[in-house]
Amino acid sequence: MKWPLHDRALPDRKLPLYNRFYLHAPRASHVDPVMVWGTEIDADALTSFLRERNRGGHVLLTTAHALIRATAVALAQFPDMNVRVVGRRVFAFRQVNIRMGFVHRGSREIDLLVVRDADAKSLEQIGLEVWQRLLQASRGTGPRDRDRARLRRIPGFWFRQVLRIYGFVDRHLRLPTLGRLDELRGGGVMVNDLSFPGAPPMRSYKATRFPDQADSLNLTLGPIESKVVARAEQFVSIGVMPLFLRADHRLVDAYQVGRFLAVLRDLLSHPERLDLPACTDALAAANT
Amino acid sequence: MKPDRPQVEADLLQFVQARGPRYASVTPDTDLLDSGLLDSLLLTDLILHIEGQHGIEFDSHHVSPGNFRTVSAIADLVLGQFPPRPPA
Repeated sequence: MKWPLHDRALPDRKLPLYNRFYLHAPRASHVDPVMVWGTEIDADALTSFLRERNRGGHVLLTTAHALIRATAVALAQFPDMNVRVVGRRVFAFRQVNIRMGFVHRGSREIDLLVVRDADAKSLEQIGLEVWQRLLQASRGTGPRDRDRARLRRIPGFWFRQVLRIYGFVDRHLRLPTLGRLDELRGGGVMVNDLSFPGAPPMRSYKATRFPDQADSLNLTLGPIESKVVARAEQFVSIGVMPLFLRADHRLVDAYQVGRFLAVLRDLLSHPERLDLPACTDALAAANT
Repeated sequence: MKPDRPQVEADLLQFVQARGPRYASVTPDTDLLDSGLLDSLLLTDLILHIEGQHGIEFDSHHVSPGNFRTVSAIADLVLGQFPPRPPA
């Protein structure tokens, strides 16, 4: 049994007033606290970094691994964004845990995985962990796959009752995570790599919120596109990848979202900064 | 029993080429990584296919760039999972 959240909620005086407006808004006001901010990253830098690392590395690295690592490093810099709502209070997560959506080849549907303490893991460690889960999922042999198979057998009516009760308790109480299925609640950020070969250009993307209150932030990376930009007074063609962040105004404001995205964008556009020893210095440089 | 290399390579090539028009021109030496053709879906499908065909099992440590750069390298990986044939 693990307690993903700190014991005490953040005191009201630490919450920005406008976040509290959203937090305490009556249901009848139909308030929508969802914010989406889209930006672009330098795909050429990221792909050449991955290409170089994949020349001699022992783990095959992809943009998904870089996105997990970059998100974790950025989140460690913005601990006030690593939070979730419980009832009408805001609790901080103890660790930087990142969840990622992936295609479950065994059951041909989307599943989620969690990388714990992702800010303390190297790209290679993250890569190994993700590949291990992907392989387990494709074979359907992991313990989580057996749990999923059990869940699948629950009739619709009872499934809905379980979700209603569990959802109610999770929304109102600071719960521990007990097993493999609810371990997803241990992370407040979800990343989505939709840059797969053949994906259409992404102009906008608003990820839905997973039906648990832990899903506070969502980052989605889209496919590479060529774009003509002016650099050193010359027009050049570069590769860019869209990056969308969905956030919750009960927890963060647009200024925080912008600063967080700037750091994340900087990390992905200068991926050499994702390497463990260099991270602290690189972030200091990015923040100045 | 250890399969023949040409047989393994042809089977892998057919599997990759059947993926779609973008993969039709893949040869045993096409760099799947630099060309951006190898994504996590193709990789896990390839591993599942190999495991199903040859009864071997890979773990995440096998997922290295060297092992999956080309179809030829993947064939090497597959053949390396079998004990060498005894001398005739």
